[in-house]
Amino acid sequence: MFPAKDTPTSLSNNNQERVVFPRAPDFSHAREAIVLSTDRSVALGAVDLHKSYGATKANRGISLSVMRGEIHAIVGENGAGKSTLMRMLQGVERPDSGHVVIADKPVVLNGPAEALALSIGMVHQEFMLAPDLTLLENLVLGEEPVTRQLGPLSRIDWAKALREGQGLAESIGAQIDWQRRTSSVPVHILQFVEIIRLLRRGCNVLILDEPTAVLAPPQVEELFDLLRNLRANGTTILFISHKIGEVMALADQVTVIRQGKTVFHSTIAETTGPEIASHIVRDAPPLETSPPPSRTVTGEPVLELDGLSARSLEKSQSLDNISLQVRAGEILGIAGVSGNGQGELAECIAGLRDTSAGNIILQGADITGETTLARRNRGLAYVSADRRHEGLTTAASIETNVIAGSHRAPPITRGGILSRKNLRQEASKRLAALKVVFGKVTDPADSLSGGNQQKLVFARESADNPKLMIASQPTRGVDLNGIAAIHGLLRDFRDQGGAVLLASEELDELIALSDRVVVIFEGRLVGEVTSPAGAMAQIGQMMVQGDAA
Amino acid sequence: MSSSIASRSIGILLPLVVSLIVSGVVLLVIGKNPLDVFSLIATESFGNARRIAATLSAATPLLFTAVATAVCFRSGVFNVGVEGAFLVGGLAAVFLGFTLPAAWGFALFPICFFAAALIGAIWLYVPGILLAKFEVDEVVSTLMLNFIAVAITGYLVNGPLLSPLSGNNVTPLIHEVAYLPRLMPPSTLHAGFLIGLVCVAAYGFWCRYTPAGFEGGLIGLNQRFSRAVGISVPRTIVGVMILSGVIAGIGGAAHGMGQMHRFSDGFSPGYGFTGMAVALLGRNHPIGIVLGAILFGALASAGTTIQLFSNIPLDLVNIIQGTVMIFAVVELGRISLRRKKGTANAG
Repeated sequence: MFPAKDTPTSLSNNNQERVVFPRAPDFSHAREAIVLSTDRSVALGAVDLHKSYGATKANRGISLSVMRGEIHAIVGENGAGKSTLMRMLQGVERPDSGHVVIADKPVVLNGPAEALALSIGMVHQEFMLAPDLTLLENLVLGEEPVTRQLGPLSRIDWAKALREGQGLAESIGAQIDWQRRTSSVPVHILQFVEIIRLLRRGCNVLILDEPTAVLAPPQVEELFDLLRNLRANGTTILFISHKIGEVMALADQVTVIRQGKTVFHSTIAETTGPEIASHIVRDAPPLETSPPPSRTVTGEPVLELDGLSARSLEKSQSLDNISLQVRAGEILGIAGVSGNGQGELAECIAGLRDTSAGNIILQGADITGETTLARRNRGLAYVSADRRHEGLTTAASIETNVIAGSHRAPPITRGGILSRKNLRQEASKRLAALKVVFGKVTDPADSLSGGNQQKLVFARESADNPKLMIASQPTRGVDLNGIAAIHGLLRDFRDQGGAVLLASEELDELIALSDRVVVIFEGRLVGEVTSPAGAMAQIGQMMVQGDAA
Repeated sequence: MSSSIASRSIGILLPLVVSLIVSGVVLLVIGKNPLDVFSLIATESFGNARRIAATLSAATPLLFTAVATAVCFRSGVFNVGVEGAFLVGGLAAVFLGFTLPAAWGFALFPICFFAAALIGAIWLYVPGILLAKFEVDEVVSTLMLNFIAVAITGYLVNGPLLSPLSGNNVTPLIHEVAYLPRLMPPSTLHAGFLIGLVCVAAYGFWCRYTPAGFEGGLIGLNQRFSRAVGISVPRTIVGVMILSGVIAGIGGAAHGMGQMHRFSDGFSPGYGFTGMAVALLGRNHPIGIVLGAILFGALASAGTTIQLFSNIPLDLVNIIQGTVMIFAVVELGRISLRRKKGTANAG
């Protein structure tokens, strides 16, 4: 059916209509791109991919060659076009122009199933595992080994499934208890299971989408060891990240994407972290990575928690006897692996979650039973971890979003009448103060970039002279420029005598900003580090094991 | 701004156009010329001052029930109990209208309207507090309250409040001093229409220029966000339910004192539900509500006379009305989608 070697491959052999390239394709570009490394073959690649969604050009010329048996990193800011590229490599989207290359051949993919059939597997940020099944059941789900082929009457050969699982786990140096229920297994093990599942389906090219986002430092090390073993076994890995340190530690090759284009490619040996960073973002101020000099905080305590506990509701983490203190002029960092209670703690303090025991004291007043409104009136500000659903109403206008909460206060509302004019004036003032970049104040908040959305949240929360700011994952999904701006805001707030409780999954961020760090593990505080600089390993240890041992 | 007006107009016109096409097909099938029929309907509803007055008269109760519905829908509260509040409000006003001494004269107006507003407010306060405090689904509770309202008012007009001069189903007439003035005699168009327009205008003002209206719109879009910025979601829910009951009750009073002058078993032929269609068709916007109410008023007034002047069945007008409602309800689907999403996010 496909006589010549260079004919595009389509998987739909039995469906002539779907055979691709109606006009004679020009593959001269393809050859150029592949020539990067002459003696080796391209496991997965892209040639001048373009993709637009309406007026938005997500990809406008991305070329990529992932060599067989290598770990190739793709780095770029949020919105640089990484996820669009992944969707095309996986067959979820079709490029407007350009080709995907698999095993040295240009192909057109009609969906992820076809990519899988060509041995390309993707590990998503959110795992596709059924929580109530065992790991073994999840491993074989959809492709179960059977004792004999009897159609619907076939019996699953669990012994064979277990042998397969153990064999694959061993080959990549992972220890997995296959009989455990999926919901009870730590997140990095789930990641391993996802990888093993793809291997079992015959994948020899794995795409990992920001695999370290949910992991603590020691788990990251375990993952990297496993990926190195995979590479030794001949598996090709495409690794998406925005952390340059990880790329330097793991990858063989790196490709940088900016504004939908490939802007840089190099082997790791021939480049440096700062060089990669300079390509990721041209106009970003350098992030202050060196931690601040150790400061002595002498301000009055602003927030005190005394034995705070909360019950678990709908799978949320319960909180157990949490006591801490945040002083004026201090940033207290809360470190913890995602899901260990940071978000729940922030919600309790903001009055959005019921507590079961203990007290919350704000500037000497017990606010445990007070409404969110009363707490805000006492000077509490809350930056939600869930920016798109709690931090903002994305469908409402920018002015509504930046005013909400102050809409009853003069001069906006006087004598029960809300003045649209004063509302707009106040909104413009707040937006200008934090240099939020926007079109019109009546545009929906959805029209802003991630960084500007978060600046809008800060513009609202810092407007009424708060004393305490609860900032939960303040830079999640924010580009480097935005991160620098938000870090600056938090530092300024602290330097002017504000108290900050900062929960973040980015350990670098916590260490760079915090005066002290406490570690939360399964809803309990398990340790405190008074000079966070240089204590990365110690904090990481506590995040994973729950003790400082 | 202009683009949002354009999209609103399409939202109102599209259901109308589609329903005209559907009923045109039906007419062709039964062998009538659709254009003739449509022009007859247009003439019957807007042909001269008397016909226009009849249309506006039919639109009057819909102004109230549509605003009462929009107040809640805009805030994401699925109140379908406007019909019930309209009935109990109407009966309360009528009851005082024939029980209190006629000598009280014009003082009867504020008394009757106040009583109707009060009982309407209480009527919808109950499902409001059940929703806010105990998360009792408001669709179920308000729908059930409609049946209770029909049963209670039905019992009263057939029993304790039955007119001694009448066999069944009606109360005595209210005192003549309590009749709302007619605007264009001999048509039944009465001052209730003006009160309705005031209600629509007040609703528009409430949405845009009061903190409570601001909060209602926000909880309709995103409850989690509203809570986080310090808005009390339960209080806002109860507030819009009470407001809805007040408007529905006033609507019932206007209908009783302006149109019927008594309460009967068929006091409302589903004004609450037609009002829901009007609110959806008008996208909860004041101008949209007025236009929607006039459209449904026109169909209702044309329907009653069209049979007299042609051999077109009344059912045809009902078909047009029904298809407009169906396409107006597409909006309802969007609201409920949003609501589900909001709940999922909250969880």
